[in-house]
Amino acid sequence: MSESTYRAAVIGLGRMGSTFDDEIKQGGQFFMPYCHAPTYAASPHTELVAGADPHAEQGAIFAERWGLEDRQIYADYREMLEAERPDFVSMCTTARLRAAIMIDAINAGVKAIWAEKPFTLSLAEADEVIELAASKGVAIAVNCSRRYNVFFTEARRMVEEGDLGELLQITAYTQCNLSSNGSHAIDTMCYLVGGDVEWVFGEMESDEKADADEDLMGNGYMAFDNGVRGFLRGTPTGAAPWEFDLIGTEGRVRSLAQGMETQYYRWVPGGPRGRNLPARAPFPLPTTVPAMGPAVIEDLVQCIDSGAPPRCSDEDGRKALEIAIAMRESHRQGGRRIDLPLPDRSLRLLSSEIAQDAVPARIRRLKGRWP
Amino acid sequence: MSESKFRAAVIGLGRMGSTFDDEIEQGGQFFMPYCHAPTYTASPQTDLISGADPHAEQGEIFADRWGLERGQIYADYREMLEAERPEFVSICTTARLRAQIMIDAINAGVKAIWAEKPFTLSLAEADEVIELGNRNGVAIAVNCSRRYNVFFNQARRMVDEGELGEILQITAYAQCNLSHNGSHSIDAMRYLAAGDVEWVFGEMESDEKAAGEEDLMGNGYMAFDNGARGFLRGTPTGAAPWEFDLIGTEGRVRTLAQGMEAQYYRWVPGGLRDQGLPARAPFPLPTQIPSSGLSVIEDLVDCIETGRQPRCSGEDGRKALEIAIALRESHRRGGRRVDLPLADRSLRILSVEIREDALPARVRRMQQNQGAG
Repeated sequence: MSESTYRAAVIGLGRMGSTFDDEIKQGGQFFMPYCHAPTYAASPHTELVAGADPHAEQGAIFAERWGLEDRQIYADYREMLEAERPDFVSMCTTARLRAAIMIDAINAGVKAIWAEKPFTLSLAEADEVIELAASKGVAIAVNCSRRYNVFFTEARRMVEEGDLGELLQITAYTQCNLSSNGSHAIDTMCYLVGGDVEWVFGEMESDEKADADEDLMGNGYMAFDNGVRGFLRGTPTGAAPWEFDLIGTEGRVRSLAQGMETQYYRWVPGGPRGRNLPARAPFPLPTTVPAMGPAVIEDLVQCIDSGAPPRCSDEDGRKALEIAIAMRESHRQGGRRIDLPLPDRSLRLLSSEIAQDAVPARIRRLKGRWP
Repeated sequence: MSESKFRAAVIGLGRMGSTFDDEIEQGGQFFMPYCHAPTYTASPQTDLISGADPHAEQGEIFADRWGLERGQIYADYREMLEAERPEFVSICTTARLRAQIMIDAINAGVKAIWAEKPFTLSLAEADEVIELGNRNGVAIAVNCSRRYNVFFNQARRMVDEGELGEILQITAYAQCNLSHNGSHSIDAMRYLAAGDVEWVFGEMESDEKAAGEEDLMGNGYMAFDNGARGFLRGTPTGAAPWEFDLIGTEGRVRTLAQGMEAQYYRWVPGGLRDQGLPARAPFPLPTQIPSSGLSVIEDLVDCIETGRQPRCSGEDGRKALEIAIALRESHRRGGRRVDLPLADRSLRILSVEIREDALPARVRRMQQNQGAG
């Protein structure tokens, strides 16, 4: 690990960049600090040195809250990159600009990028960012945060150590637009399974939505290269909100109700006709529970030192987007199996978070137009 | 209710016809009596008066156990139908013969048929039996037994009374061959979702299996006409054996581990950002828990009197088979959505239970045990 602290800057000084943690009152899905500025302020590896946002009021609030001087706040992120030469940059703007900002940051010589999700809007954008980052040796972590959540990392550890036996099934009940929060749902399924999706089937919420580029809800079936099968319900889930169910031959982990509860089941001898029983056992917590934001920083610092990809890499971000788009393609093509990767790289999904993005979310919320 | 008892006969005097209940030592999936002869014996509405089986030893064991005379046991079920004129007939033979025996029984003038699953092997057979049954006013109940299980009945009651809100999703983890025990899992999904399947997508265990007619495992996605969506995992389920998960906007019922446990969740105020919480509540049992088999008899007696269809009807049996075949068709067509009903009625699945059906299962099991010993 490097000795000195890294210079960190945030681009996009709103909810994910600055204030999201204020909304969280209970652990489980998140452990604090989680979002970008609070993490840079807390991490021993980083020093928050600058912020950029075209909206002056966003910058003023950010500077006051995080103890920055006015001159450390920039309206134009390109000027900020030029003047401050940050090592770490967080991408917390609307997804509309994310690819262009990542490209500018890589070209400005940053060492690491911590990007909000979705990674990009189109596959071509994702390809370009990934190729450029690889050529410049820049580590990009996408903030699909369950990869940095202790319950999911423990589930993954159990898979790797064979505690669940051979994996068979991953099911997600996660009402979401497939790009906006679907990037979380799909990435988490891929993370828990530890395999790549070879083909999908998808049904979207309507033919009209499937025909367009706007973000949309849908359901899908996924075939992983390690034999696991996935079912995603992204249409409304009613009394089963944000649930992941990982089933193996020897055990099972269920994450329930937006991560508020995690259950572990073991396959034990007994039961009718001696066919064994799924017995609930305590979920094995590790001895320390890391904050999620600092876990991303630790990961990126190691990547800078080793050249390894982050736990949630740019490649992972592209895969989540590509799976979402493939599910929509399945619907567009009359309900047929779609193989990955997709040949048409111009395909895109206009994440629902870019709707009304001319005005900061904070202002929209004040005006009652949230989200 | 009728005053006199109905004369009941069993065709196929083996495991489901006679001895299955001996294997069951815990309630949940079944409540006794469950299988055919024990039910006819226990029911106040039926008298067990006859049995038919081509294997003489099966008939002798059956007669001894259920107190019948040798003269009441027949090698040929047609002779039995002719001589005994039963009103209830149970079809507990190999599925290979089920359609033919049902046709013969209907033509012999029975009032009610209690048929083991799967209903038939082909769609054409199912069409013929249903049409003939309807024309002759014969009530046919298929023994997809979860429709006669208290936990599933209560779940369906909660659906019908709106306690789960709008039904969104039915998921089943049920390792099965799609005709054999798939007839149970698919029927239970239809029963709980309270709708009909409009189209499916399916993936079978292999291309080779999908191309053949033998019974096979597979997974599927189902679109119901009431907007609910279904996911069936019929390939191996490991630590999640035989589970049904019914999710609505206001509540959820899960039946776990082959029916050994049923859970009920209600959507209540509270939780993160006041978005509501899924709180587990006690599963509401009724004041009496009926026997699975006796419930079928009560249902059929009521059908005889009113002319309505049984809770698990021939039509339900046909639909389960048609969905299974459509899932396989989806795979055969390279992974495509397949609409129901299927145009090609010659399609069939050779239920795994017809394998080696020249010998009674009891004898095969004894031979296996000797081989293992």
